[in-house]
Amino acid sequence: MSRTVAVDGVQHAAQPSFALVGAGRIDFAPLLLLLPTAISLGSVSLYPILDGLWLSFHNTTLATRENRFVGWLNYRLLATDPDFWSAWRHTLEFTAISTLAETVIGLGMALLLVEWFAGRGFVRAAMLIPWAMPTVVTSKMFGWLFDGQNGLVNWVLRSLHLIGGNIDWYGSPNTALGTIIVADVWKTAPFMALLLMAGLQTIPGSLLEAARIDGAGAWQTFWRVRLPMLAPILLIAAMFRALDAFRIFDLVYVLTGGGPADSTEVLSTLTYKTLFSALEFGYGSALSTAMFATEALIALGFGIVIVRSMRRQGR
Amino acid sequence: MSKIDSSNRAGSRLPAGSCPGRRAFLGGALGTAAAFGATRRARGASRTEITFASAKFFGKETVAQVVEAYNASQGRVHVTYVELPPPSESTEVHQLLVQQLARQTGSPDVFTQDVIWIAEFAGAGWALPLDQELGADVRKQYFPGVVQACTWGGKLTALPWFIDSGMLYYRTDLLGGAAVPETWDELVSIAQSVEKSGRARFGFLWQGKQAEVLVCDLVEFIASNGGAILAPDGKTVLIDDEKSVQAVQFMRDTITRYKISPQDVLSWDEEPSRRPFTGGQAAFLRNWSYVYTIAQDPKASSVVGKVGVAPLPHFPGGRSAACLGGYQYGVNASTKNRDAAIDFVSWMSSPATQLHFATELGLAPTRPDVFDEPRLAESQPFMQKLKPVFLGATPRPVTPKYAQVTLVLQSSVSRALADGNVKQALAGAKDRISAIVAT
Repeated sequence: MSRTVAVDGVQHAAQPSFALVGAGRIDFAPLLLLLPTAISLGSVSLYPILDGLWLSFHNTTLATRENRFVGWLNYRLLATDPDFWSAWRHTLEFTAISTLAETVIGLGMALLLVEWFAGRGFVRAAMLIPWAMPTVVTSKMFGWLFDGQNGLVNWVLRSLHLIGGNIDWYGSPNTALGTIIVADVWKTAPFMALLLMAGLQTIPGSLLEAARIDGAGAWQTFWRVRLPMLAPILLIAAMFRALDAFRIFDLVYVLTGGGPADSTEVLSTLTYKTLFSALEFGYGSALSTAMFATEALIALGFGIVIVRSMRRQGR
Repeated sequence: MSKIDSSNRAGSRLPAGSCPGRRAFLGGALGTAAAFGATRRARGASRTEITFASAKFFGKETVAQVVEAYNASQGRVHVTYVELPPPSESTEVHQLLVQQLARQTGSPDVFTQDVIWIAEFAGAGWALPLDQELGADVRKQYFPGVVQACTWGGKLTALPWFIDSGMLYYRTDLLGGAAVPETWDELVSIAQSVEKSGRARFGFLWQGKQAEVLVCDLVEFIASNGGAILAPDGKTVLIDDEKSVQAVQFMRDTITRYKISPQDVLSWDEEPSRRPFTGGQAAFLRNWSYVYTIAQDPKASSVVGKVGVAPLPHFPGGRSAACLGGYQYGVNASTKNRDAAIDFVSWMSSPATQLHFATELGLAPTRPDVFDEPRLAESQPFMQKLKPVFLGATPRPVTPKYAQVTLVLQSSVSRALADGNVKQALAGAKDRISAIVAT
């Protein structure tokens, strides 16, 4: 794309120009080369998004064969739909708590695994097992662990005299969402650890050495050298995790189905029920658009913080 | 699909209207064996081709084999069977059917549907009304609850295939000489005394998970108090009536007041509630018919030979109700082969075919008369005993908006059971369901 453009008789050689209008005529070659990418991306990602958006302005219901343009009606219904807002709150709650816990635990694991010890390679590989397991399997496993009658967790807590009687983890609105968060943290913290470990390894050894020579202890090295250097990667990893956690579906679907009393209903399960059980495509699309908008806001928030932390480091 | 094979001519030579295969089939065991064995017999040149889509069911035989038996039994119609996912994936089956029926291309000509979709398909105009085609007395031949579920707008829009329903499992050894409970009060007192004596950990297990099964249990409790969720007009919502409130309050009381059910039932669907029962930890269980086979299997059950089945109890002045399940036939309203489709569903729903489905696939007949067949008693003695249970079969709310109604019911009733504000939760449900069915 590097072309030589003559302006006022001065040769601006070697200066890349991305202008498609050069010397008064349109150059179609680059456009033509971009076309296959544009078509494939447009058809598989842009079109479905726009179509979903368009659908959210209709009252399309497959079974009653309604399909009318209704303007903002679905969004007005959404604004006053208690189910939507309770699912929205549960989803944010889940996202915030699980991301925070996974980041903190993941960081701890990464700090351990970045140090050399015998069998480190094995532990690093084994650590990924929870993450590599299909979530449905994890869900079933946690279903058994936290079973209200015969679950291992209840047995251990009872044996340690921490609880008097069995706790019905999934049957009580007070504990169901928390139990699902525990399952998610178990499953995903290792993944965070892996990302953060990669980040820790990029920190030059000379910096750590310099810190040691200056007399910094382990704690000071962590707070003053490692954490600031790690910050951008930490934030990017947390952003990915948060965006992923926001779409939580399988754990809830397998373990509680959204119950009891809607206490674990999240946006994905609510949208799924609306779209695929009730076949209300219009309203379901409005739900997923609202989900998309919330995710965009989360990404934007992270984006701003990430850019700032990078600027601070002068990168 | 009109391959001519000289050996197949036999079928096409037969005069239209006579179906010797069917007669032989009706004739008895020998005839049946012949009809089901000769799968490739009659494939004539001028046969009407229709397609039949059904969720996957199997036992000793598959649905495909029964369809082949139909093809072999006559020479006018040839049915191509399209297998859909099993009923455990009913959301997918529903989607596939809606997508195909909404296209209105006439394919599939015949399909099978869960009882809760019948009103939806009929309301959308996708199901052909069948009364006129099949005669006025057709309704009397089936269980009344099934006919009620197959009727939309006064017309029979589905033809019954097989039935399942909720029922009460009890431990014969724990009753201690007491009669099988007929009212909920009796059940509570027996369950409490069993728990008190330590003979079983739990009195009564049911399903309170926020899922479709909760609505099934709900229908049984409410209907056994003489109440209903939706009036027969499909518009008047009765979920916050005194009778419904009492019934839901009783559901919660089993946990909090009578303490005959663990709080865990609020997160249990069928299998989690079945396991403690077949493990010998419970006196009573509400569940579907599949539990019996497991309960009698020594490898999976510690209560072999100690399990009885009865209609679910009722409230004073009410009568036992069993939530109706099962799949039923429908004919696509846009079919181009109406006569062939109707001939096929009539054959599929006939007493002989229902008997065959019962003995070979374990699917219970929707015709009470078939329960009196000696062959059923011989091969499915347990199923035969269920006739009184199925007589109390009660459909879930019959409305084209059922898919939306059930989500509201699941959420509100789960809330009522969890926090105990039954009246408030049901009043909220009434408002939301009224808004859904009004449009």
